[in-house]
Amino acid sequence: MTRGFTVWRCMGCGAVLFPERLLCPRCHGAAFAPERVEEGVVEETSTIRHMIGQADWKPRVIANVRTKDGLHITVGLRDDSGPGTVIDLYEEAGAPFGVAKGSPPPTESPPAEPPP
Amino acid sequence: MRAAIIGVGQSRYTRRPESGQSAHTFIRDAVVAALRDAEIDARDIDGMAVASFSLAPDTAVDLAWKLGLSLKWLLQDTNGGSSAMNMLGHALRGIETGAASVVLVTAGDATGLAGYGKIAASYNIATRDHLAPLGHGGPNGVYALVTARQMKKYGLEKADYGRMAIAQRAWAAGNPNAVYRAPLTMEEYLGAPLVADPLNRYDCVPVVAGAQAIILAHPDRCPRGRAPVRVRAIRHSFNYDHQAGDGLQTGISTFADELWREAGVRPGDIDLACIYDDYPAMVLAQLNDLGLIPDGDLKRFAQREIGERRFPVNTHGGMMSAGQPGGPAGGLNHISEAVLQLQHRAGARQVPNARLAVATGYGMTMYRYGGTAAAAVLERME
Ligand SMILES: [Zn+2]
Repeated sequence: MTRGFTVWRCMGCGAVLFPERLLCPRCHGAAFAPERVEEGVVEETSTIRHMIGQADWKPRVIANVRTKDGLHITVGLRDDSGPGTVIDLYEEAGAPFGVAKGSPPPTESPPAEPPP
Repeated sequence: MRAAIIGVGQSRYTRRPESGQSAHTFIRDAVVAALRDAEIDARDIDGMAVASFSLAPDTAVDLAWKLGLSLKWLLQDTNGGSSAMNMLGHALRGIETGAASVVLVTAGDATGLAGYGKIAASYNIATRDHLAPLGHGGPNGVYALVTARQMKKYGLEKADYGRMAIAQRAWAAGNPNAVYRAPLTMEEYLGAPLVADPLNRYDCVPVVAGAQAIILAHPDRCPRGRAPVRVRAIRHSFNYDHQAGDGLQTGISTFADELWREAGVRPGDIDLACIYDDYPAMVLAQLNDLGLIPDGDLKRFAQREIGERRFPVNTHGGMMSAGQPGGPAGGLNHISEAVLQLQHRAGARQVPNARLAVATGYGMTMYRYGGTAAAAVLERME
């Protein structure tokens, strides 16, 4: 996992976007600069206790997280951070993970998914 | 007025499709039922619209081929839970403009649970790349977060959603085609295992295999002794807020005023509502967007109007009790239920003297919630 998470800033109007777009929804410019966002605030969480088609599923926690720019992203939580907690963001293969600010970085790989 | 809904048909719904059963065979069964219901010869069908997640690699024209239909108007729709509404709108306009005269609208899926899991994990690129690696649990995880937000914003409790699930189950008792018809108690609801907190088993639609079909044509072609159903107004919304809001308002909020104005009626005139119910939270969100919860008190509406069945919502049991044969067919069942009610053919669940209904579709969970929505006001023609 690498520290921070990549979002996209529109070079025309400054809007911060995730996931990446083709044109900015605000100014319809086509140029974006990647930007690292290192922390966010947990707004809601859910423990995923069951996964369709997977018998030996281990519960995982996801969260709706707000960044300083007001962007909302869905993050995999690797500890029991609840609503209001500031978390450090990490990235693995384009997916965001988080732990409470100042905690050791998560090392575990993301869970395997059924093949697409 | 040249277009009306004149017949509906449904296949059997089953939790587990057997060998030899596929989206194709369920669609065939629904089409046969709709043709018989509308008293229309298959040779008279000159337009078809279809939506399905599990028709591939076949497309609409392959289905036409396999159903023995030669057509001059053909559409395949990709909008999931709002596909049915989208196809309805296109079919109406197709007939009104003379592009077709008798249109079959159908949808069906038979993914099985494993197939559904695969679809849920790679629903679109954003889901495949940014959500599935988190173990997000498909739409259950997405709407768990939306539901948590709705509970916080409106002071809703689990029991409020429970009242909705119990009421829909009570309606389903009157629908012989619903997969779950036994009464549900609050104890059972509150004691059910959590799937994705705060959602429990009864908050998540049961995936079934099955199909629906409706026939549209000039109202004169409606079988004798039966009222055709016309669409007074229909509106759609796609990518209304770029996924930048909280998901507690749907795309319906962008057109509700226009819908009612065009329909020439008010929310208070409506006799029943068929609201796309992938999750109870989204039923409340859509009802609120439609202006059917006039004071915005979602809690009271869930408890009294829906819970005590003072206002008929999802009288077929909704997808929560009737089953979700994929989003497209699930949405088409909401339209079919509105038609059956307005034709006074809904049997034990009939809403007395139903004349006006509103039906919705909601779908395509792009990242944080659904990006498509649609609604129609339907009316019994006397
Ligand atoms: Zn811009």
